[in-house]
Amino acid sequence: MTIKYPVGTVRDLLTTDLVTEATRQALVKRLNTPPRQPTFFSTDEFTLLQAVCDRLVPQGETDQPIPVADGIDERLSGSETNGWRYDTMPTDGDAYKLGLKGIDESAQALFQQPFLSLTGGEQDQVLKAIQLMEAPGETWQTLPADRFFEELLAEAVENYYSHPIAQEEIGYVGMADTPTWKRVGLDQLEDREPRAVQINE
Amino acid sequence: MPYKTSELVDAVVIGTGAGGAPLLARLAKAGLSVVALEAGKNWNPMQDFPTDEKAQSKLFWNDERLSAGNDPLPFGSNNSGTGVGGSTLHYTAYTPRAQPDDLRIRTDFGVGEDWPIDFDQIAHYYDEVEQFLGVSGPANYPWGPARKRAYALGPLPINGAGQLMERGSKKIGIKTSPAANAALSAGYYQEGVGHRPGCANRGFCQAGCNIGAKASMDVTYIPLAVHYGAEIRPECFVTQLIKDASGKISEVVYMHNGQEERQRCRFVFLCAGTIETARLLLLNDLANSSGQVGRNVMAHPGLQIWGEFDEDIRPYKGIPGAIISEDMHRAADADFVGGYLLQSIGVMPVTYVSQMARGRGLWGQDLKQAASAYNHVAGINILGDCLPYAHNYMELSDEKDIRGLPKPRVYFSNGESEERMNAHANKVMREIWSAAGAKNVWAFPRNAHVIGTCRMGNDSNTAVVNADGQSFDIPNLYISDNSTFPSALSVNPALTIMALALRTADRFLDAYK
Ligand SMILES: Cc1cc2nc3c(=O)[nH]c(=O)nc-3n(C[C@H](O)[C@H](O)[C@H](O)COP(=O)(O)OP(=O)(O)OC[C@H]3O[C@@H](n4cnc5c(N)ncnc54)[C@H](O)[C@@H]3O)c2cc1C
Ligand code: SF4
Repeated sequence: MTIKYPVGTVRDLLTTDLVTEATRQALVKRLNTPPRQPTFFSTDEFTLLQAVCDRLVPQGETDQPIPVADGIDERLSGSETNGWRYDTMPTDGDAYKLGLKGIDESAQALFQQPFLSLTGGEQDQVLKAIQLMEAPGETWQTLPADRFFEELLAEAVENYYSHPIAQEEIGYVGMADTPTWKRVGLDQLEDREPRAVQINE
Repeated sequence: MPYKTSELVDAVVIGTGAGGAPLLARLAKAGLSVVALEAGKNWNPMQDFPTDEKAQSKLFWNDERLSAGNDPLPFGSNNSGTGVGGSTLHYTAYTPRAQPDDLRIRTDFGVGEDWPIDFDQIAHYYDEVEQFLGVSGPANYPWGPARKRAYALGPLPINGAGQLMERGSKKIGIKTSPAANAALSAGYYQEGVGHRPGCANRGFCQAGCNIGAKASMDVTYIPLAVHYGAEIRPECFVTQLIKDASGKISEVVYMHNGQEERQRCRFVFLCAGTIETARLLLLNDLANSSGQVGRNVMAHPGLQIWGEFDEDIRPYKGIPGAIISEDMHRAADADFVGGYLLQSIGVMPVTYVSQMARGRGLWGQDLKQAASAYNHVAGINILGDCLPYAHNYMELSDEKDIRGLPKPRVYFSNGESEERMNAHANKVMREIWSAAGAKNVWAFPRNAHVIGTCRMGNDSNTAVVNADGQSFDIPNLYISDNSTFPSALSVNPALTIMALALRTADRFLDAYK
């Protein structure tokens, strides 16, 4: 089942009084943040991270790319954490730097080229091998590959789906809550809730 | 009116969550001079609680903890909160009562621990808390002992996930009921606060409620406590408890705006939650003659089963915690200790997709496709008893936090009983979803709610505090939070924590007033 929703739904709602001022500020800021110059990662690391994020959460042809890696750099620059980490993992910043090195090592071992030079399909093979703990490379002798992959993936999808444009993609308009929701049961939609435009297969 | 730090106040309460706030209100009402020290901020819900998951991650305890064992516990969003109101700022507000036999696990099963009090000693506190918070619930709740009074308000509207759980359960003969939930189904007058509005069905309870319809402590027991003269000091992180020559605690040391402050006091009530309460005691080498501080970490088996449905569900609408079943409280075919309850769950998109990433390892087009079904997903989860084990504990690690204090390391591995319970529940929930017409069903294994580390009991060799929450070692130190539970119970913990907090306050007042 593929479900598609019209574009612009969240952006339209953000101009109305169906969202609270606090909600509007948080989302408009996210929408309008310009691309980031990395301050935690080196330029090379950051380019690699962006390429990896593009495979994890592919974006297709959007008018406005969602800056997934930017949020990771921003968090690590501020030394923020999400409150926990696996005891078998080094600190988040070290894990990212090591893991990126490991991704390139695995790409070299599998395809004799850096990750950035590979086709999308080859890049996916590298990432899949890391997720399954089958990737070659010295880094994975010390850094648990599956945990690294899980943490990276979780953060990438959280950054992606926090963005208003990604929320439009999945038909989420929960932010438009000032009038209260009256129709909350199955198949009960309010006027402001987007209808799926095309369901195929 | 603020107290001076040089003044000798009757009591310092550390932490303002489910365990701290009710007790604070009770002590203040009795006329005691009380000061609450809270590590987190004092929020203004209208301004500070946007309907946005990322913007509300500030409500979680985001100081890093190290998670070890076979089933490492996630903290942050999954387990703990901060701010005036503690974890109740972002709890889902399900408020089931424990059942009497939950408190007798050892008697009934020969393993685990009994509570040093029985159900009758907390029943009237349950009743009091439910009425004060304005809990919404059904006229006739099908499980457990009959209640003295009906719930304060009628049930909340049932959202899509709830309707589907009702539908599936009915087909296979499992009884369900609208859940008791501490969100208001209608406006409610509350002592110390005034009128609180009814729930707007905005489905956002796992973060802060911006209208005060959800009974978090910041809109219930905290204002009541302030009304009776308590002082709340936010952004005060307690680091030390200082003992005097007589062995009692005479001063509480805390950090505020980078400055060290000290508050003199007669009694201390430690209500910092399972991990931070034990951490403070271990850091200060206090109240641990039993060697039990930090031991017996428990966490409810919290398996979730998700499915996709043809119907439009829109999981962002309606109270996330709508439907409950306690039919598995003592399931006839159980091969595990205790029991579990079933609850329908609504979910916000970032939480949902992030669980798909961790739980199913989905990425690329597979992830995008599964995420595009968001408006058609519904979940059920369990919360079940968990035994205390020697292999589950917390310790201070060598790694330091930003204050230079050791980070806690928490070991957790489910035992055989928890594994069997999860397997049983997996089958039951899949049956419900299949009867309801679900497709693409998947399981997200997890444990929710940390419990234990400072258990209560009758024996000072095996427990940290007595049945009144009083330390066996330090007579003017009390503990009131999730840490004192001797067993995990087969229900969400907050209501029981609040009921116990009031009992602890009353027992203390009886003894010392
Ligand atoms: C997402 C989520 C949903 C939940 N849903 C439910 C539900 O539906 N029903 C339910 O019953 N329970 C639920 N819970 C659990 C419930 O919120 C907790 O069990 C309960 O709030 C714990 O109470 P407590 O008093 O032990 O700790 P908390 O409520 O966490 O309070 C502890 C307080 O102490 C403060 N503190 C800690 N250390 C210090 C220090 N050194 N100095 C000063 N202050 C300090 C913290 O900032 C915090 O405010 C949920 C939890 C989560 C994470
Ligand atoms: S669902 Fe109701 S109680 Fe929960 S946050 Fe929304 S308005 Fe508040």
